[in-house]
Amino acid sequence: MNLQSTATKMIIQENLLENIHVPKPKISIIVTLNNHENDIEELYHSLVNFVERDEKQFQIIFVDDGSTDNTYDRLVKITENDLRVTSIRMRSTFGEASALDAGLKHSAAEIIIYLTARVRVNPPELSKLISKLEDGNDLVIGWRYPRRDAKLNQIISKVFNSITKKLSKLNLHDINSGVLVTKREVLENIDVYGDLNNFIPILAARQGYKVTEEKIEQLHGEFRKSKYFKEYLQRFLDIITVLFLTNYSKKPIHFLGFFGAVFTLIGAVIEIYLFVYRILALGPIAGRPLLLLGALFLVIGIQLISIGLLGEMIIFTHAKDIKEYNIEEIIG
Amino acid sequence: MDNRKVDISIVVPIFNEEENVSFLHESITHAMKRIRESYEIIFVDDGSSDNTLNLLREIQQNDCNTRIVKFRRNFGQSAAMAAGFELAIGDKIVAMDGDLQNDPDDIPKLLDKLAEGYDVVSGWRKNRKDKLLIRKVPSKMANKLICSVTKVYLHDTGCSLKAFQKEIVKRISIYGELHRFIPVLAKIEGAKITEVVVNHHPRKFGKSKYNLTRTFRVLMDLTSLNLFLKYLKNPLQFFSALAFYSFLIPALTGIWALVDVIKSDFQTTEVNLFLTLIFLLAVTIFQFLFFGLIAVLIVYTGKKKSILLMD
Repeated sequence: MNLQSTATKMIIQENLLENIHVPKPKISIIVTLNNHENDIEELYHSLVNFVERDEKQFQIIFVDDGSTDNTYDRLVKITENDLRVTSIRMRSTFGEASALDAGLKHSAAEIIIYLTARVRVNPPELSKLISKLEDGNDLVIGWRYPRRDAKLNQIISKVFNSITKKLSKLNLHDINSGVLVTKREVLENIDVYGDLNNFIPILAARQGYKVTEEKIEQLHGEFRKSKYFKEYLQRFLDIITVLFLTNYSKKPIHFLGFFGAVFTLIGAVIEIYLFVYRILALGPIAGRPLLLLGALFLVIGIQLISIGLLGEMIIFTHAKDIKEYNIEEIIG
Repeated sequence: MDNRKVDISIVVPIFNEEENVSFLHESITHAMKRIRESYEIIFVDDGSSDNTLNLLREIQQNDCNTRIVKFRRNFGQSAAMAAGFELAIGDKIVAMDGDLQNDPDDIPKLLDKLAEGYDVVSGWRKNRKDKLLIRKVPSKMANKLICSVTKVYLHDTGCSLKAFQKEIVKRISIYGELHRFIPVLAKIEGAKITEVVVNHHPRKFGKSKYNLTRTFRVLMDLTSLNLFLKYLKNPLQFFSALAFYSFLIPALTGIWALVDVIKSDFQTTEVNLFLTLIFLLAVTIFQFLFFGLIAVLIVYTGKKKSILLMD
C-alpha cells in the first residue's frame, strides 16, 4: 500500500531503446545508487566483465535514487552505449526499498541480483552467490567478508546482526549487507517498503523461502559518509522492527497485552496493599509516593492493553487483505 | 478446475500425519459415498516435514475428488484453515482435524442439521476419550469462559469438526490463532449457530499438540473478540468502560488517602501528592476518550462495514 502511493509520485525515465526486441534476459542486475558519480563507471565495467563471462543474456538496471551530483548524466551516457542497460531516475530520494521496487518492476529475468552501490563489493565474487542459489536456495544474501569499511560501522553492524540472529533464528552474519541474489518470485511475494530493505532475508524466510548466505569480498575505497548517530539509532529501532516482523505482526495484543498485564498487575497489587494497609489502620497513606506509583502502573498497563486492542481492531477490519500464508503448490 | 462445481468441500489441515492420512482419506470417502452429493476434499499440508505430502500425492492421483494445497512452510492451523476456506468451491464447507480424532461418519449428520437452516453446525464431543485431567478439565473450563464472554453457547467450542454455509465462510477471516474461535467469528457476522453430538476417538498415532502455556494468548484473543463482538459499533463505550476500571482501584484507595489528607490538616506534601493523583487520572480520562475516537475511525475506514449495517 505504501509502495503504490510512492510509485505514483515517481516519474521514471526509461530508456526508449529498451522496447527494441532483445531476447529475454536470464539475469537482471538491479543497482540502486545515490550520489555515486565517481565510481559508477568502474562499477558498470566490472559488472559487465563479470556477467559476460558466462551469461550473455543479462540486463543491468541502474536506479538513481535522487542523486544530486552527476550520477544520472553518467548513467545516461552508459545507457546510450549499451542496450543491456536501463537507467531509472527517481524524482527524489525515496529510499532503497522504493528504488529496488522500481527496478524490479522494470526487470525481466527470473534471477535477480540486487546490490546497492554504497557497499562496494567485488562483482566477480557474485558468482559464488549465484551458484549457491542454483543449489536449491531461494535467496542468498552476501556476507561482506573481509570488511573494509569503518571500524565503528563494523562493530555496530556486528552487534545488530547478533541480536537479529537471536530474534529471527536465522543463521546469517550480515543481514543488511545490501547485496543479494534471489528469484524474482521471492521479491514479488514480500512487501518491501520503508526501511524494510534491510530485512529482506527475514521477510523471505517468514514466507517459507530457503534463505542462506555466502561470503563476498568488500573492496577498498571511499565509503559514503554516514550520518553516524542518526543511523545507529535507526539500527536499534530496526531491532524492534525485527521483533515485530518475526513474532507479533498479526497479533499485537499478544505482545502489548503481556506488558500491559504485567504493569496492571503491579499497579493493582500496590494499590490493594495500600488499601489494606490503611484499613488495618497501620498508618496514613496520603503522603506516600507509592500511592501515585500504583495508579501510574495501573493506568499505563491498561493503556498498553488498549493500544494492543486498537492494533487488533486495525487487523480485524482489514483482515481480508492480509494473507498469512504462502502456497507453494496446489495439486488437483 | 476453474469452472468445477461441487456441493460439499471438506477442508482438512494436515501437519505431520503420515500414519493417519490414508485411513483418513478412506473414511472420509466412505462417509461421502453415502450421501450421493458431489464433494471435494482439500488437504492443506501445513509444511509437514515427514512423508505426509508424498502419501497425499499418491492419494490424489487415484482420487480426482482430492485436492492438495502445499504451504511453503508451517504457517499454523489458522492459516491452513484460511487457505482451505479460500479455495473451497462447495456450497457447504466442512472443516475437520487431520488426526483421526473426529469421525468422518458424522459429516452427514452435520450436513442434515445445516439443511435445517443453520449457518454453522459445530460438533460436540459429548463422550470425550481423552485422559481426564490433562485435557478434559482445562478444556471444560476454557469452554465455560468462552461461552460466558462471547455468549456463543456451545458445549464444545474446541471441536474442530464443523459445517458451514459457504456465504459465512467467505465472510470471515481466520488469522493469528483465531481458528479456535471460528463460531465466534461467525457470530460477529450474524450467523445462526447450533451443535450436534459427534463421536470422538482417542489419538491412534502421534502426539497431541496441546500445551497449557497457550492460556495467556487465548485469554488475550478472547478479550479482543469480546471487543469485536459487542463494541465494534460503538468502541467509545468499550474504552470508557476500560477507563472506569482503571480508576476503580486507585479511587478506592484514593478515598482513604483523602481522609488522611483532611486528618493531616492539609499539609503541603500530602495535598500535593493527592492533587497529582487526581491530575493523573484526569489526563487518563482524555487519553481513553481519544483511544475510543481512534477506534471509531478504524471501524469506519475498515472493511467490515457490513457489521455497521447489521442490527
